[in-house]
Amino acid sequence: MKKKILITGATSGIGLATVERMLQSANKVYAIGRDMKKIEHLIEKYGTENLLYIPFDLTKLQELEALFIQITEDGVKLDSMVHCAGMEETVPLSLYTPEKVKNIFDLNVFSSIELLRVFSKKKYSNDNSSVLFFSSVMGILGQPGKVGYCSTKAAILGVVKSSALELAKRKIRVNAILPGIVNTPMTQKLFSQLNEANVNAIMNMHPLGIGEVEDVVPMVSFLLSDDSRWITGQSIVIDGGYSIQ
Amino acid sequence: MNKQEFISKLKEQLELESEIDMDTNLKELDEWDSMNAMILIGFVSDTFGTVLKADDIKEMTTVESLIAKIGEEKITAAS
Repeated sequence: MKKKILITGATSGIGLATVERMLQSANKVYAIGRDMKKIEHLIEKYGTENLLYIPFDLTKLQELEALFIQITEDGVKLDSMVHCAGMEETVPLSLYTPEKVKNIFDLNVFSSIELLRVFSKKKYSNDNSSVLFFSSVMGILGQPGKVGYCSTKAAILGVVKSSALELAKRKIRVNAILPGIVNTPMTQKLFSQLNEANVNAIMNMHPLGIGEVEDVVPMVSFLLSDDSRWITGQSIVIDGGYSIQ
Repeated sequence: MNKQEFISKLKEQLELESEIDMDTNLKELDEWDSMNAMILIGFVSDTFGTVLKADDIKEMTTVESLIAKIGEEKITAAS
């Protein structure tokens, strides 16, 4: 049966690849993103009856519930949510102001909690739903200049475990994927700020090389499917071996 | 901000113990390391709105050359 899936960060990187994979397996996707141009080819291919693009600024948390009302106005509730939107930044501790810390927590953590809070209302989601968050291997490791990023990604792990317990009575599952460096526009931006030696060092820290979105999306697909119905509250690392060293 | 103020701000942000002037090559200081480079990029971005790339740091020699990368007018305009 066709599932209704909400995907954020849907116009870039892992989010965009997830949208396509979900459409291939005949689901209906609500794609939240910031750049419609990058998803137009999928709208043309699959049609607006299968893929609805919704421009939305995820820092406007107070407007989030209106979005869910709009999505479920036909009376059909959501079956899954994948929160891919997020930001990465390199800021040394000495330059972190409370405003900057709040900024990255707004997008990486507070939007996650608010999305989950609204999604988990019975009027918006079905029992047996699956929710997937993107943490990062940086959620369990550290790196200089990543106090903000690492702490937001670590926070997601707490969100996942606690909410998985709260929502288990409705058989709603909540899990996190922790990717290593994946070749996405976000990574390209990161690499542009580093010198060649540092880029090579990062590449070499991944025994299987850095990942492609195709290396991550099958796990997304599995965790959203009923095949993973006994998996909840988990943090699943996909990093080409980065974190085992 | 004039150049002298820029230099003292730079010294403060990078917590440099060495005295620096327009001709100092920051990367030749004993205290210079990759963390300094990261702080420099953040400081310049926050204060002047110029995002220095890895290549800019690579090409940078003296404080004077850093000012040229940022753009003198941006430094004058900053408070």
